[in-house]
Amino acid sequence: MDAPITNKQSQTHYKPKGNKKPLTVGLSYKKELRERLYALVFLGPSLLILTIFVFFPMLRTLYLSFFLTNSVGKPTVFIGLQNYFSLLTSTAYLHSLQATFIYVIAVSCLTLVLGLLLAQTASQKIRGISFFRTVFSGTMGVSVSVAAIFWLFMFNPSVGLLDQLANLFHLPVINWLTQPGWAMTAVVISTVWMNLGFTFLIFFGALQSVPTTFYEAAQIEGVSKRYQFFHITLPMISPTLFFVSIITLIESFKSFGLIDLMTAGGPDNATNLLVYRIYQDAFLSGNYGLASTESVILALMIAFFTFIQFKVLEKRVNY
Amino acid sequence: MKKIKNFRYRHLLLLFSLCAVILSALTGCTSAKADSRIQITFWHEMTGPAQVQLTKFVKEFNQSQHKYTVVPQFEGNYNEAVQKILNTHGTSASPAVFQSMDISTSQIYSSGYTTPVQKFITADNYDVSKISAVARAFYSKNGQQLSMPFNTSQPVLYYNATLLKKYGITPPPVDPSYSDITRVAQQLYERSGKKVKGLSVEIYGWLFEQFLANAGESLANNQDGHAGTPTAVNFTGTAATTTMKWIQENIKHGSFMNYGSGTSASANEMAGFLSGKLGMFLQSSADISQLTAGMKDQLGITYYPHPDGQKSNGVSIGGASLWISNDKSTTVQRGAWEFIKYLMKSQNQAAWQAATGYLALNKDSQNEPVLQKLYQKTPAAKIPSQQLARTTPNNTNSGIFMQGLIQERTITQTAMEQIYNGKNVTSALQDAEKQMNSYVQTTNKANK
Repeated sequence: MDAPITNKQSQTHYKPKGNKKPLTVGLSYKKELRERLYALVFLGPSLLILTIFVFFPMLRTLYLSFFLTNSVGKPTVFIGLQNYFSLLTSTAYLHSLQATFIYVIAVSCLTLVLGLLLAQTASQKIRGISFFRTVFSGTMGVSVSVAAIFWLFMFNPSVGLLDQLANLFHLPVINWLTQPGWAMTAVVISTVWMNLGFTFLIFFGALQSVPTTFYEAAQIEGVSKRYQFFHITLPMISPTLFFVSIITLIESFKSFGLIDLMTAGGPDNATNLLVYRIYQDAFLSGNYGLASTESVILALMIAFFTFIQFKVLEKRVNY
Repeated sequence: MKKIKNFRYRHLLLLFSLCAVILSALTGCTSAKADSRIQITFWHEMTGPAQVQLTKFVKEFNQSQHKYTVVPQFEGNYNEAVQKILNTHGTSASPAVFQSMDISTSQIYSSGYTTPVQKFITADNYDVSKISAVARAFYSKNGQQLSMPFNTSQPVLYYNATLLKKYGITPPPVDPSYSDITRVAQQLYERSGKKVKGLSVEIYGWLFEQFLANAGESLANNQDGHAGTPTAVNFTGTAATTTMKWIQENIKHGSFMNYGSGTSASANEMAGFLSGKLGMFLQSSADISQLTAGMKDQLGITYYPHPDGQKSNGVSIGGASLWISNDKSTTVQRGAWEFIKYLMKSQNQAAWQAATGYLALNKDSQNEPVLQKLYQKTPAAKIPSQQLARTTPNNTNSGIFMQGLIQERTITQTAMEQIYNGKNVTSALQDAEKQMNSYVQTTNKANK
């Protein structure tokens, strides 16, 4: 510690300079210093951990994205923005980008709509509905690998359930996982199915918390069910809707497990989403420079979309 | 009150005894580790029956002598293991001896992290001529053995002999040409009333490489990298074009089944074959044990097909080899070599083939009773070993000594996917070649 701060010194420091006001009005400088010290002590450990495990890797990724890396993963040749240029002009990468957007939009929309639909259904007061509530939220307890095995069996071209059903009804047999368009459909279906349990549960909770008095009032006014849904239910659960939409969006940008287990990015890169491409470039090809560049681009993209969602959707959140 | 206290006391006692048990177990572990033997950490990527057999070898090796203890550690799949090996080198976590896949050979070699096994072969005057020449050639550079081939397979053609007999179709010859296969595939498809697909070739870069090898064409320049670092690849030569056109012809006919690529593809293919919905497929000889175990029909096997109008050049191998890290002391490295020698023994190689379907690399293994018994039960199981034995290694069938082969597989697989889905063969292969050439240039620049 330096020389102890006398009361006089603290007095001179205490004078507010310009617009700056002291942290807490009425506290002496000494006390304020102590407050800040406490803050540092309490924040310190988590800041340290964040620095080591989050900030440093982030900066390192940025650094690596300006380099070519050799066979053992060490950066050797500085190439500036070359990685970015070559990525943004590569048809394969743009293809991945397009596939990711299709996937993210399809998964987010379907998850939201179906989740809400299931939650709305489960909120009905019908006998035995609690059984369905359990069933609807069931996929929450299913791990990715189990889901992948289940869906792989469904989509199996020789012994799969879907194609056997198609055979039974004399419908054309689809090669679900080997035709580019169908593979994307198959992956979207499985992801939505996986997501549904969580989304359903959150929506269901939100629907339960809407006061029944509103519906009673609406009924007295003789308003239709549809009108009730769009003008009472939706506005009342809008914060939840906002939350779920952001979570689903980010999660679907980050999808990995099902892709890896079901299609491995194929066929013809049709399901090679950005995260999977990063994994392939880094941990299969050992091309850390390129993979870092892809990570930076992906991070910027997620940040951008989250920002947009905050700007647009927050205005529509009613309370 | 007393009852509750008693109750608590009992729980406490239980807790203590549990702690004591755990503690004694832990000390038991440490005391076992603390013996005077030298520890050899061995990283491998084997699963299923191969893992069981490998663990058995380790146990037997540890019992057979008192100097070393080999500790096996499973490291996930081949691709991930390569990165782990490279990233842990020089730390205490790194292995003394490790298994690494065929196409990582050039990468591991150029990392400079290993001691070539040639050093020990020379020191011991080890008779290396007993080990399959084709397998050795894959893992050597300028006549120097870099690593010891271990789990080794060759691609072969499997067919359902019972199904062919049922429809009165002459089976393909032992060394078939593309048109031999087409004939069988189309006959099977038509005579079964389009219920049984004739042929499947998984979208797998390894098989693509083998088509070129068997046609005697190099995939990369500088003689597939055996004469120097490759600077360009060849995906558009006669061999690749002819082969892809042959596959596309079968797809158009309807007799070909596309199971796609990736982990699920080979599983689906196997399921299709075992359930009698697929007549023939090209796959690794390592699948034999699984096929003989799961199949009710009679299994037929032939050599890998070759283009019409030429003799087959012989296929290369697949699998992995064993490397010795150079970041460990000489005694540890010596121990690693002793373990490798143990695995290559004639009776161990025979047991390995019988248990897993990987080929016995020691030439003496063929006379071991365990293999004789296998051949008696399934005569077709002899075919892959015969294919391996009859091949003379040359620069086009000894693997490709090039970095970035993982990328090469991704790119050729994409081209195969496009071709299987109807894209023009020449333009798909040209695109792939262009992509790979630019990748090769970047890689060479980064590794200068």
